[in-house]
Amino acid sequence: MASEVDSAPLVGRADQLATLRAALHDDIGPGQTAAVFVTGESGVGKTRLLTEAAARLRDAGAVVLTGSCLDIGDASPLHPVLQALRRFDADLTAAQARTSSAVRGLLRTFAEDSSGADSAGALLERVSRGLSLIAEGRPLVLVLDDLQWVDRTTRQLLLYLLAGLGDLQLSVLAAVRAESLQGAHPLRRVLTELRRLRSVRVLDLAPLDRADTDRLAGEIVGTPLAPEAADQVWQRSGGNPFVVEELARDLRDGRDGLSDTLREIFLSRVDVLPRQAHAAVHAVAAGVEPVEHWLLAEVLGLPEPELIEALREAVAHRLLVGADDGYRLRHRLVAEVLAHELLPAERAGLHRRYAEALTQAPAELHQARLAHHWRLAGEPARALPAAMAAAREAQRLHGFAEAHRHWSAALQLAATPTSGPGGVPPEVDRAVLLEHAAETAHQSGEHARALSLLAELAGGEPLDPSCGLRIRRARYLAAAGRSAPAEAEYRGVLESVDCTAGERAAAAAQLAHLLVLQGRYADAGQRAREALELAATVDGSTNSVVLASAALGFSEAFLEDPDSGLAVVRRALETAERSGGPEDVACAYLHLAELLTGPLNILEEGVVVARRGAERVAELGLGRTYETRLLAIATNGLFRVGQWAEAEKVVAAALRHRPSGADAVELLLARCRLSVGYGDVEASDRDLEAVATMLAGGGAPRHVLPMLILRAGLAMWQGRHDVARQAVQRGMTESRSDDVVLLGTLAWHGLRAEAEAHASRTVAVDPTAVRRLRDAVDRVTAKSATAAGPVRVVADGFLALCTAELTRLDGRGDPDAWARSAAEWDKRNHPYPAAYSRLRQAEALLARRGRSSTAGTLLREAHEMALSLGAVPLTSEIRTLAGRARVELTDRAQPAGVDRRQGRPRSTGVGHGRPAGSGSVTVVAGPVVDELTTLTAREREVLAAVAEGLTNKEIGQRLFISERTIGVHVSHIFDKLQVRTRVQASAIHLRNRGE
Amino acid sequence: MTEPVWGPVHVDIVDLLADHPEDVPAVVDHLTKLQDLLVRLPPLEGSCPLADFNRLYLTITSRVLEGLYDDYFADPVFLSRLDVEFAARYFDAMRLWTESSPTTPRAWSCLFKRMRGPDARPLPSAAAGVNAHINFDLPFALVTTFDHLESEPVDGTEQHRDYLKINDIFADKIPSLRRGYLERWQLLLDMLNGDIDDWYQGELVEYTRDVAWRNAQKIWRCRHDPQARDGERARLDDNAAALGRLLLSPLGAFLQ
Repeated sequence: MASEVDSAPLVGRADQLATLRAALHDDIGPGQTAAVFVTGESGVGKTRLLTEAAARLRDAGAVVLTGSCLDIGDASPLHPVLQALRRFDADLTAAQARTSSAVRGLLRTFAEDSSGADSAGALLERVSRGLSLIAEGRPLVLVLDDLQWVDRTTRQLLLYLLAGLGDLQLSVLAAVRAESLQGAHPLRRVLTELRRLRSVRVLDLAPLDRADTDRLAGEIVGTPLAPEAADQVWQRSGGNPFVVEELARDLRDGRDGLSDTLREIFLSRVDVLPRQAHAAVHAVAAGVEPVEHWLLAEVLGLPEPELIEALREAVAHRLLVGADDGYRLRHRLVAEVLAHELLPAERAGLHRRYAEALTQAPAELHQARLAHHWRLAGEPARALPAAMAAAREAQRLHGFAEAHRHWSAALQLAATPTSGPGGVPPEVDRAVLLEHAAETAHQSGEHARALSLLAELAGGEPLDPSCGLRIRRARYLAAAGRSAPAEAEYRGVLESVDCTAGERAAAAAQLAHLLVLQGRYADAGQRAREALELAATVDGSTNSVVLASAALGFSEAFLEDPDSGLAVVRRALETAERSGGPEDVACAYLHLAELLTGPLNILEEGVVVARRGAERVAELGLGRTYETRLLAIATNGLFRVGQWAEAEKVVAAALRHRPSGADAVELLLARCRLSVGYGDVEASDRDLEAVATMLAGGGAPRHVLPMLILRAGLAMWQGRHDVARQAVQRGMTESRSDDVVLLGTLAWHGLRAEAEAHASRTVAVDPTAVRRLRDAVDRVTAKSATAAGPVRVVADGFLALCTAELTRLDGRGDPDAWARSAAEWDKRNHPYPAAYSRLRQAEALLARRGRSSTAGTLLREAHEMALSLGAVPLTSEIRTLAGRARVELTDRAQPAGVDRRQGRPRSTGVGHGRPAGSGSVTVVAGPVVDELTTLTAREREVLAAVAEGLTNKEIGQRLFISERTIGVHVSHIFDKLQVRTRVQASAIHLRNRGE
Repeated sequence: MTEPVWGPVHVDIVDLLADHPEDVPAVVDHLTKLQDLLVRLPPLEGSCPLADFNRLYLTITSRVLEGLYDDYFADPVFLSRLDVEFAARYFDAMRLWTESSPTTPRAWSCLFKRMRGPDARPLPSAAAGVNAHINFDLPFALVTTFDHLESEPVDGTEQHRDYLKINDIFADKIPSLRRGYLERWQLLLDMLNGDIDDWYQGELVEYTRDVAWRNAQKIWRCRHDPQARDGERARLDDNAAALGRLLLSPLGAFLQ
């Protein structure tokens, strides 16, 4: 720092500094993330605290990157990150060549053109890779000031990194102006959502108290203040350190102490500046900070010695601050004070000089700044091309919101009549501007704005709007959730004689898709058939074929003709493979896998399709998006059929693609579901935190309910029934009534929590909660009666569970109700709830002191199922009950793997009766003989690694799962093999290798 | 040392405000606890002006919660987020007031100032709270909610209809509430004409809620422009504060 500004002592912030250091450095384990958001009013010392904390973290060995967000409304995406990298690079010494090349490598990725379906996510991934190269294993701290002006892309990057998706030990320290959060600032919600996470803290920085105020003032003046003077400083500053400092300096320097407000303090100071220093301050105020030295020289037109002299004065009067990268105002408050001090013509002149100087030499944020200055110079014609260039640049970095703002500015500029000397209006097609503005508005979720721009675009045409435009309008309407007008628009295109067959096919396919979403299956089917007929007559309409086939497939499935629906979707896949592009193939696989694992509940085949599709789309180069989505489907399918070890492997593979956004959330939820089943509390917690972090960014209410359900499920294994109840209550108040499956799942979790609270007497049963849950069950029952077949079938399973849990609340549980539930889930081939139902059935039977032999059989069945799954908490509950009832669990009358109920191959056991082709399972080689039959495939892999002498950590790295989960597997293996040491376990492994 | 802002219950209120409820059941819980504390504020135990507002707000929010459980709204996700965000602004205002922050919205501080006042009257107090909460807080809560859900305030949508349903809840609750804490003023009110009555039931809530929706649309359009956004905030604060002061003035007392 080149100024004396920060030489003032830091008073009264020792606790906060200690907190920051602990939260951002000392308390973070390897691979973990943390964040502290410092909020406080202007002048309370946020920046100062950030600077001090950053220095300490740097001393502690962290790599610290610092940047600030800008308050020009049209900043560029990721600007603070870029700035932080440039600053960091500038500070590196020659000895740090490797780090420097990593920084430059990362800076280059920002300049690269990246387009394509999922490049927004790919950009986040590249940035996080680059950051991890820079960190080289050291903890990384990202310090961001003025976060209230953050752009959307940076916001997403922060959440992505904090969720741990970048696989980076990172902490974030950011300052936010409290005043900004009071309005409708997007960060407000983000902070509310993040606040509850363990890894995030919001530190509200309060003004100093009286004692610290006196101390600060005393240190600046050099001696303790006289009582009246101290009183005055306290009264006038309210403990705001910035004001205290300024008042104390005025006191020390004998300036009259009449100025009461900051405004007056600064104005009086500006007034006494020499002329050139005065000009320099106003020039910086009109610029975009930091204003580089060369730029300021150009703008002021002063010879170097005079310029230096002027700047010195301004710094000495505490209005400017100088640093290596340029000059800033001492505080943004100064800019607010100065804003009204210049005549409009003076201000315009300054902006003109900035623009002229920037035209000659490229600088940071070049186009955005050019547009900004030319516009304020009153030169719309020259601002226009810069605005367009800035828009394109933002688009390249996937900052659609920023791009949209630039396009909107361009539209305004194009409409402004030019009068000045710069005045030849460039040749710009207004329609092109409108089109870009509309599309970027749509992409950034501003659907109403997109529609009004489109209306303007259509209004410019002499005749009816073109078919392309109408399809676009319909698409925007559908995205805005306005299905009725969207439907009307699609119909319009279909009926229009002016539209080509290709356009009509597209409209029909889109319409069919929209109708499926609304649950209007018959209409959807009809439109889909229409689309397929039309598409058959034109080449190059494969994507209409794929979309229409999927719509048809789903509508047939819901209308209970699953076979013909399935045939249609299979055909679409063939068509896509024959004549479509990579995305068509990927979509076709996705629809087929969704249809099979969703409404048709043909899980095994769905998993096979999803995994085959994943391999295929990876070949086609669509790994990040479609492969990830397909693997998520496979994981969820495998979970339900009880092949958890396999599911775990698939989800690990999918996460290696470092997905972002909704895809990432989907996978984290899938992995968390497994961890909850395994009883791995730490891993579950971590994934739940990561999901909550991602959801704090907003936009995906559909993921909130699954998250709450998992939170409740985990809490119940921990015996925290009140936590489970809270999660369920939140879910119940935020779920749509037409989603009977989710609502049914929630109600079951809620009733189970109450029933278990009742049984364990840990928490009192909440009668109001029970009443509401009963109401919810009634509603789900009523709604599911009218729901489509496949939905009804799944909902019935959860309703059976609900009914059975209710009998536990009323008494000791009705064994028949639990038997019905077990049968429901057996029918669907979902072993986890089936095993749970058996446990409860046995419990109810035993409580009635009757038929203990049946109970024994049930417990043994449940035990075997739970063991094969690896469901540790469920297994231990079964064992506890068996122990109490003196049921021998290890008695194996029949060989494992054959279903004793119906003699049908079980899919709960791994390695037996698994459909051929269910993917590239790499089970330990060699035939498996008796001693290892109880182990799951995953456990056998772990055991093989144990026998190789690897530590849990090494095994975790090899198998891409957490060390903690390996621990769970190992203890499970010990349990099943009835051994106590790794050596004993290895011996059994070697004995059974089957040479 | 001067007396703490919340008198004998200061510590309890500060502790309560340290918590940020994140769903509607938690908001109701929060308001309930707050009510228990506010009625212990001297010298007007049981009839502190803020308690009068809080009681009304608690009743309304409980009804909204029932509605969410009973399938009353078409888009519960939207309505829950809105309700939580809306309440958060009331708690924020209290928090700022606790810290004696100069940035406490004036729309609220005119009510907070009267907390210990000698002439608190339940109806104007509750009305002043409703005014601050709806005229000032609501538009911003709407904008934040839409932004978070990546949706937008468009007339005639499911979300708009759900939003308007809250009017029915207000209309449903206000007369009974009024009778609840007006007992001895009831007669006086009945002696006045029905216009004022209508103004309370209809105008204040329905009219201002509609204004709030329009204002939200206005803020929505300029939400990326920090200056315009702050300008809008100052304007709304001024208006709401002016109306609030009117309600709490002798004229407001006259209404009662």
